Amino acid sequence: MIIVSSPMQQNEITELLTGYNGGDFTFRFKEKGGIRLFFEVTGDSREAARKARELIKSTPWGAILYFQSIAAE
Amino acid sequence: MNGLVGFLERSIVPIAAKIGSQKHLVAIRDAFIGLMPVTMAGSFAVLLNVFLRDLPNEWWGAGNGVTATFAWLIGMNGHVWQGSLAIFAILFALSLGYNIAKAYDVDPLSGALVSLSAFIMGLPAVATIGEEAGWGFFNFAAHFGARGLFTVLLIGFLSVIIFCKFMQWNITIKMPESVPPAVSKAFAAIIPGAVALYVAALVYYLFGFFTGGESLIEWIIETIQAPLMGLSQGYGAVLVIVLLVHLFWFFGLHGANIMQAILQPLYGAAGIENANAFEMGAEIPFQWVAGSFDAFVWPGGSGATLLLLVAILVFSKRSDYKMVGKLGIGPGVFNINEPVMFGLPVVLNPLLLVPFVLAPVAMATIAYAATMLGWVDPVVVPITWVMPVGISGFLATAGDWRSIILSLVNVAVGLIIYIPFVIAANSPKLGGGDAQAEQE
Repeated sequence: MIIVSSPMQQNEITELLTGYNGGDFTFRFKEKGGIRLFFEVTGDSREAARKARELIKSTPWGAILYFQSIAAE
Repeated sequence: MNGLVGFLERSIVPIAAKIGSQKHLVAIRDAFIGLMPVTMAGSFAVLLNVFLRDLPNEWWGAGNGVTATFAWLIGMNGHVWQGSLAIFAILFALSLGYNIAKAYDVDPLSGALVSLSAFIMGLPAVATIGEEAGWGFFNFAAHFGARGLFTVLLIGFLSVIIFCKFMQWNITIKMPESVPPAVSKAFAAIIPGAVALYVAALVYYLFGFFTGGESLIEWIIETIQAPLMGLSQGYGAVLVIVLLVHLFWFFGLHGANIMQAILQPLYGAAGIENANAFEMGAEIPFQWVAGSFDAFVWPGGSGATLLLLVAILVFSKRSDYKMVGKLGIGPGVFNINEPVMFGLPVVLNPLLLVPFVLAPVAMATIAYAATMLGWVDPVVVPITWVMPVGISGFLATAGDWRSIILSLVNVAVGLIIYIPFVIAANSPKLGGGDAQAEQE
């Protein structure tokens, strides 16, 4: 599981990650808790968290977002 | 709070995203960031000379043992400075040209060369020595340092844009496929490069023609750069920046990424000018620079969160707060505050909004007043932002011991601001139920 913490663009982040089909990871939205979004992932969760960070930063709004993407053990 | 976030997402995020992803602003920001290896080496050289030459000379007089012993290293530091901070505008011209060309997806090396050439071609190069006038004498101190920055931002920028547009319009010399790529790229850039440089030359020529031979770079420095940098020295500007950056951070927007392209040409350039003036033994031109924020305003990162962590470790009775305090204090000493910003969280936490903004505002006010009143020397050495509070100010002010007192005062003020809010968070109404359970 990974946790993406961001108060902004939560719907966009969820859509972005759950819609990702790059083949290396899949992200399934689990729940929302305040600023935290929880996603079930396939594969190594640390790598998945890194991938989520990359995906978010690659969007037009990602560069200005202050967020955190971490693996939840 | 949800309504406010929704409003910000609809109104602020699209504007901030446009600013943050605007390719020219991103190129300017990346041009500054790209120079960090060189500027940090230059800063280190200036800093070493403070402790090997300037302070020993002040304490023990000229010819002291420390300075004499390390004369070789002092000389080497001078070389490093001369090849870094002292030629900041030249390095920036290269970096800016490279990054703009990269943003337009054309050959970055050619872009860097066009930008550098467009800057250098306009520099006054005639000097009078005694009764002899000659060509080929650049005024190193007047134009090569940060003083040339705005000329690069205007003329270098213009020339690279022209270069990139011509490349994109494909107005180039095409070579057969058998020609090696390096040769092919160089030939392709000939027409766009020549047009860009001739346009820059025309600007310089026309300016000189209509002003009776005045130098464009001097005019830019006097008419654009100096007033803008002067504005940056006002308390209002410092206050607005501290407020805006912290509001951005609080609402989950990357304050630095949004504002860096605007702040670096002003406060970053002022910091480089101060370092150059200090190394040359000249009068320090600016009282408040980029390093002043790092040294005195945000110990522990944005919001001075190191003090929040200290307040938590001492006064909090909440197990979740204490856990974050223990995990966050190590990185916090080095001004890394993601663990506390997202762990507590501070981001979008209404209880912590007031101290998160108020503490840095109060600290900026105190540091600004102390610097302007001459109680503490201005920052003259750019220091990396991970330097711990106290040490950062001491090094940045070239060893002014009063900076340590200022840092301690600011730490005390920041703590006083945070403590009531940390104690308030112990209340069961605010989620501090475990605190009550412990008491019972």
